[in-house]
Amino acid sequence: MSISSDAAVDLLYIIALFLGGVVVVVSPIIISKLIAPRRTRQYDNRTEQIVECGVPPIGDAWMRYGAVYYLYALIFIAFAVDVLFLFPVAVVYNTQYRWQDLIELAVFVGILSLVLIYAWKKDVFTWNRRKFRKG
Amino acid sequence: MEPQEIPEGLIQLAVLDDLLSLCRANSLWPLTFGLACCAIEMMATGASRFDIARFGAEVFRPSPRQADVLIVNGTISRKMAPSVVTLYDQIPEPKWVIAMGNCAISGGPFVFEGQYGIIEGIDKLIPVDVYIPGCPPRPEALIEGILTLEEKLTGKRRFPRVESGAQK
Repeated sequence: MSISSDAAVDLLYIIALFLGGVVVVVSPIIISKLIAPRRTRQYDNRTEQIVECGVPPIGDAWMRYGAVYYLYALIFIAFAVDVLFLFPVAVVYNTQYRWQDLIELAVFVGILSLVLIYAWKKDVFTWNRRKFRKG
Repeated sequence: MEPQEIPEGLIQLAVLDDLLSLCRANSLWPLTFGLACCAIEMMATGASRFDIARFGAEVFRPSPRQADVLIVNGTISRKMAPSVVTLYDQIPEPKWVIAMGNCAISGGPFVFEGQYGIIEGIDKLIPVDVYIPGCPPRPEALIEGILTLEEKLTGKRRFPRVESGAQK
């Protein structure tokens, strides 16, 4: 299988442009590595310190915290998906397959309702102050 | 403070270095960092009336990793000194320090027998490029300090020197 000369020329163009792009992207990185100073003067060995406001950091940034918003996001997604997919179903509902439509709808909504059960178990529907365990 | 060896790049070309220092001199990026009343004058220098943007040094950076110039403006208490040195450490090369005001130069009015709370001059801790005397220096003095730093970088003075009014 051979490619025609037109296609070969096109391929050469693509390769040339690709190489040009690589050169344009990589060369500033290399040039700046070459001409930038190799290190910086320091008197307290704090150049690598993560916090940039002068004070020593307290603890680590890699800690666990309560991501409480996910429940609301989850419920929102459930209802959004519900609405989104029920509209097209409503358009064609009961036109061709009666029982199949009903059963498929029930399966779909049933699976989505599990989200509500999950949220219910997580006490979303009770009105009290939440306590989130750390860790 | 003894003379320091300034870190250089792997490749050094005279023309390129001249070009780079010209670029750096015309866009110095000071660190947004205030210690005392001289910082008020620095803010005035950045604001519209004195407008340090005319001289290319208006981009005050909140992070030392993006800054060029550390303007030490005010009294350096012993408690604050480690922070100043940390900020200096975190500024990448090339970096310059301007000691603004008498406190940053020598401790200013806080120097007396037996004082214990003040660093008597930031040049005891980090190398200083330009000293701006005054208590506090006027914004014009800070601009003059920036211009002096530019002169140090490029070897040329960009604007004509203003003569003191007192000599006329």
